[in-house]
Amino acid sequence: MREHNVRCTLNVNATMRDTLVRVDATLLEVLRENLDLTGTKRGCNHGVCGACNVLLDGTLVRSCLMLAVDVGERAIVTVEAVAGARPFSDVQRALIDAGAIQCGFCTPGFVMALTALFAHDPRPTRAAIRAAISGNLCRCSGYVKIVEAAERLAGVAP
Amino acid sequence: MDYVAPETVADACRALDADGSHCLAGGQSLVAMMNLGLATPERLVSLRRITELRGVAPTPDGGLRIGAMTTHAELADLAPDSPAATLLAQAARVVAYPAVRNRGTLGGSIALADPAADYPVALVAIDAVIELVSATGRRNVPAREFFRGMFDTVLTRSEIVAAVRMPRSPEGAGAAYEKLSLVAGDFAILSVAAIAGDDLRVAIGGYAMTPLLVAGLDPAGEVREQAARELARLPAPPGDQRASTGYRRRVAPELVRRAVHAAMRARHA
Repeated sequence: MREHNVRCTLNVNATMRDTLVRVDATLLEVLRENLDLTGTKRGCNHGVCGACNVLLDGTLVRSCLMLAVDVGERAIVTVEAVAGARPFSDVQRALIDAGAIQCGFCTPGFVMALTALFAHDPRPTRAAIRAAISGNLCRCSGYVKIVEAAERLAGVAP
Repeated sequence: MDYVAPETVADACRALDADGSHCLAGGQSLVAMMNLGLATPERLVSLRRITELRGVAPTPDGGLRIGAMTTHAELADLAPDSPAATLLAQAARVVAYPAVRNRGTLGGSIALADPAADYPVALVAIDAVIELVSATGRRNVPAREFFRGMFDTVLTRSEIVAAVRMPRSPEGAGAAYEKLSLVAGDFAILSVAAIAGDDLRVAIGGYAMTPLLVAGLDPAGEVREQAARELARLPAPPGDQRASTGYRRRVAPELVRRAVHAAMRARHA
């Protein structure tokens, strides 16, 4: 049996989405191209840059390193849903207020990494913040304002 | 390409027994290689539904059996009940990045056998045994024999890494893992795993295509000089985009010294 396209039901942002996917399509590709969720970015496409980070059952994962067919029943949350009904989540608001966004391409990945961090540690240290974003590349900011934004949110810096 | 996600090891082994079949564990290397066009499997056998590949449990001889699908993040949180567990957890904490550690697995990493990976060197120092399962049975292979070369192991086509068995550590022993890399999350330029009990067991990774045991070290003496002498007897280390042969040769003795001293400090009187 050899099937190139399979029907796949994904739980994305609390909605069941039915879509036809290539067997070798990554979750990133399916989010962007099948489901029109283009907030998740394709940077390096091999796990190094972090721009494609999403949450899988609440834990941070690279959507470029998961095949859509291998997701199964697990729940995906993308940057489009982190704020819920609000305009921005606390993490997003902190990044905006700190001026931590320049070109913005890496920002969704940082938002997801910091969202995962704050979900289990509301008052992370600077070291914990740096560790949490160690898998995210930003080529504009030098990371200083991103770390500052997270520190302000943690209440550990003015 | 086709994709199957069997629920038992037996079904997975059967599905693997065909040209172009490949196990999919956490996918953190395989999917990256597929995206880059470096791997083109014809069939992926996902191991994610197989419960017998999961879980960490004590063994009757006082060691630990760790299921192959245990993630790096889970290993990073392993209770430091023994030097072997402490060492493995230290290695797990420096594998790649948080998002990758949440998905990547112990079994996937050792089956890939990257010479610069963190687990091979730790498992050789620990003297762990790799438990392999196939359609025809099981076999246990010492970590030292499991790794054969760059991306090369003793695994046969229909075999799966089922678990890693770590022996009971000597009483009061200490362990340490020292990794030298260009940036956090990268593969190692070199890494050293050390367990100091009544005797000293030290392995170095990134110095050859498989982890090497470094013998002849006396922690009471000048460890760096001893390590330099021992390493000089071995073939020259590789040079690659991360570091030259000369650089590796020069820094290796110091990295050995740091790991040995850290392991000595971690011992209980």
